[in-house]
Amino acid sequence: MRWLAQLRVRLEMLFERGKAAARLDEELRDHLERQIAENVAAGMSTEEARFAALRMFGNPALVREQARGTWSWTGVESLLRDLRYGVRTLRRSPGFAAVAILVMALGIGINTAIFSVVHHILLEPLPFPQSEQLYAIWARSDAQGQSRIAASGPDFLDYHDQNKSFSTIAEMIPQFTVTWTGDGDPKLVNCAGVSDDFFAMLGVHPHLGRFYDPSEYARLESGSIVISYRFWKNQLQGDPHVIGRVIHFEEDAQTIIGVAPPMPDLFPDTDVYPTLTTRPSWDYMKWRGNKFLTVMGRLKPGASSASAADDLTTILRRAPGEPPDVRVQLVPLKDDLVGGVHVQLQIIMAATALVLLIACINVAALLLARSTRRGAEVALRVSLGAGPRRLAQQFMAEGLVLAVSGCALGVLAGWFGLRLMGRLPGLQLPRMEGIHLNGAALLTTAAVAIGTTLLFGWAPQLTLSRTNLSPALRSGRTETGRSQRRSFAWLVIAEIACSVVLSVCAGLLLRSFWRVEHVEPGFQPEQMLTTYLRTNYYTPEGRPFWRDVLAGVSALPGVDSAAFADCTPGKGAATATLLFSDRANDPDHAPPTQGCWISGDFFKTSGTPLLRGRFFAENDDADSPPVVIVNAEAARQYWPGENPIGRRIGVNYTGPGRVGKGAPRMREVVGVVGAIKQGGLDSATKPAVYMPYLQDETSHDMATMSLFVRSSVHAPALAASVRARIHAVRPNQPVEDLEPMTDLLAQSLATRRYSLSLLGAFAGLAVLLSALGIYGVVSYTTQHRTREFGVRIALGATRGSVMSHVFRQGLALTATGAARGAGGALWATQTLSHILFEVSPLDPVSFVCAVALLVFISTFACLLPAWRASRLDPMQALRME
Amino acid sequence: MGKPNDLVQGTLDLLIMKTILLEPMHGWAIGKRIQQVSGEVLQVQQGSLYPALHRLEQQGWIKAKWAESETGRQAKFYALTGAGRKQLEAETANWNRLSAAIDLIVAEA
Repeated sequence: MRWLAQLRVRLEMLFERGKAAARLDEELRDHLERQIAENVAAGMSTEEARFAALRMFGNPALVREQARGTWSWTGVESLLRDLRYGVRTLRRSPGFAAVAILVMALGIGINTAIFSVVHHILLEPLPFPQSEQLYAIWARSDAQGQSRIAASGPDFLDYHDQNKSFSTIAEMIPQFTVTWTGDGDPKLVNCAGVSDDFFAMLGVHPHLGRFYDPSEYARLESGSIVISYRFWKNQLQGDPHVIGRVIHFEEDAQTIIGVAPPMPDLFPDTDVYPTLTTRPSWDYMKWRGNKFLTVMGRLKPGASSASAADDLTTILRRAPGEPPDVRVQLVPLKDDLVGGVHVQLQIIMAATALVLLIACINVAALLLARSTRRGAEVALRVSLGAGPRRLAQQFMAEGLVLAVSGCALGVLAGWFGLRLMGRLPGLQLPRMEGIHLNGAALLTTAAVAIGTTLLFGWAPQLTLSRTNLSPALRSGRTETGRSQRRSFAWLVIAEIACSVVLSVCAGLLLRSFWRVEHVEPGFQPEQMLTTYLRTNYYTPEGRPFWRDVLAGVSALPGVDSAAFADCTPGKGAATATLLFSDRANDPDHAPPTQGCWISGDFFKTSGTPLLRGRFFAENDDADSPPVVIVNAEAARQYWPGENPIGRRIGVNYTGPGRVGKGAPRMREVVGVVGAIKQGGLDSATKPAVYMPYLQDETSHDMATMSLFVRSSVHAPALAASVRARIHAVRPNQPVEDLEPMTDLLAQSLATRRYSLSLLGAFAGLAVLLSALGIYGVVSYTTQHRTREFGVRIALGATRGSVMSHVFRQGLALTATGAARGAGGALWATQTLSHILFEVSPLDPVSFVCAVALLVFISTFACLLPAWRASRLDPMQALRME
Repeated sequence: MGKPNDLVQGTLDLLIMKTILLEPMHGWAIGKRIQQVSGEVLQVQQGSLYPALHRLEQQGWIKAKWAESETGRQAKFYALTGAGRKQLEAETANWNRLSAAIDLIVAEA
């Protein structure tokens, strides 16, 4: 069988090529010997016989080459040879090789890492079966100015019982804490309360044990608890016999019946999953106005989200007390989780793409410059008979060595970068767990880099192989053709333009950040401590707790004042609507404000100035006339140019869990204070009203409040004492988020800070790479003109004029690049407009600074080659051919 | 030795395969045999012989074996494979057809 024989020969050629070569030599030598013997037998002398035989034989080397040429795998052999040669030539210019490989590695590594993150967070579907059918259910009401209204207990029951489009609807309280009085100190654990069907809706199965029975939801004290994988692994050490173990939460003993599988996307830090109806004091589950539940559902197969939304809207509107324009929105669950960071991540991705572009341009320029030095070598090879294909193969092999090394290093850099990102403190991106190096990203960036390398390694050969051979051989150099010089110029211009765009964007973000950080918050966060206290005191009977805590904390040494509020400055506040006594009220368009219940010393503690009237006093309590304090923004909006003191308004406070019983009481305005930023620092200042907490008339009294303490004592010592005082009033009271106010504000800036650092880093990298590029290009082009400069200097040109000549060239490139870049930036910054804060996308300061920075750095990059050119010894330059 | 005529590559393959049909031979002997049998008309250049031999070996028509030759040294003997035998028949038939056609044209007065 022919193929068998062929296979055998091919394998021999692959693995025993050396031996086959030796045997070929042997074979040819044998032939020669026989011919010589024949000649001798015919009567020639040994010498003549040898010569005659050789003459007949022809050139042994040629015969050997021709015979070897018929062997299989010659293509591979020549490729390997080219690769080895490529490595050797690269070793001869280690600087070039190092820079090229490093630049490629940076571009590939950064892009792969960032893209992997973005892909995982934004694109990868949730790890639940048919996750595209999972939706988060929110309501919105434009009349109330709210776009993400949660559901109340009765709302959920309506959805659950009456809907036709969902196969499962479940509710959840996504985050609350209870104290685990387990082994050791009491610790706070994070809970996510779930209704029945919740785990079934997601489609997950327990890791150990089982989930809840339907009967366990119906009973108020079932005593069973499902814990999370995270809790099991970290706190219970992954005990395989954990089922049946009893743990104590607050006063209740619960038996562990199951361990949930890890669900890091939805529940990154949840410890236990209590059922939603087990807590006997959870009366507020029955109040329709108490909207705090997260509802999710799995659509029936074939149902559309639009029809499902309509279905639920109809159900919701039937409920009493809903605004008439309320409607239900379905948000795909994945989008609900990551929606907030969408824009930021996209911007970062664009930035990394730009950096990759710059890196590729740099590599291209380097390769182009290098090719101009190889004219002699190419000329020699062409004159020895190398065809253009052979040359191309050689240079591609070299490019391949470069590209593969760059890629390998890039993969390493990318992997390392991902590990680094995972450990960065303060980075609060959703779905951060489980990010891995994304194969597609790697392939794309690698392909781009390799493509560039191969293209720019090979393209110059097109011109080189057609150059005039003899002057190239003699002079050892080729002239830098005009087309090559132009390509250089365009490459550098493109690089500079991209860098300018990145720098401008970074500059804009920097200014935004600075503006946000320096926003006047309306209060004084320094020396202020805050903590969040949750209780289950939903009736006035709970007021002694707050009173005692306030008294205890105020009595601490070093404390200037302490206060409560149910809003947190700089973080959030609830919405209220107003009723006026002095004008007509439109119930459908009641003006919304921020509303807050406070204790008397709130403004003193937060450092907010009093503009008119008075603060609340001791005697503004439940038995005295209802009063209210408004902020300057409310005064400006509702009583422009007038004095609001003495006016009467009613406050429909629609905070979480609150239902007004009948019409609210009309309150007298007794003071006007400065406006506090109740939302994030970058939100607009809104009108706000403040009421004494003792005068709360809604159905649901203070259950959760934030405590604020102003003191000159150092924060950690104060924190410990405050905690001790609170526990003195009520042991086992969870004290959450006990931190200085400045830390709290800093957290709200965290995402901005993160984007800024990343973008700033990229811009810095881009500028550096561009500087390198300019330096390299100007360097190479001047080196080619050594002879010309030598002549000039010999003819009397001053060193200064040579230097300025080179310098001007480099600067011309920079100027063009900067101009193009500025143009590109004008367009690019439009995309940033909604994350900028008080900075216009056309902010001239950022533009000017970015361009100036680049020009400054390019100046330095041009300076060195220019200086070197001016230092030429004309004699040496002329002699150097 | 007469002037060597140009031999088309395919024809050389045919001659080589015919020569080693009956017994394995080494390269030198093959060249000599062709020369002899053709009455000194066809003289194969080593520059064509060895590449042809190696090519035929790579293609699997002939196989090679290193054995002791008459001089006592190791030499590379080539022999036809089974597929080679069939290829030889095909090539012979082809050659006959071709040469008959050429004869027809050339013979026309």
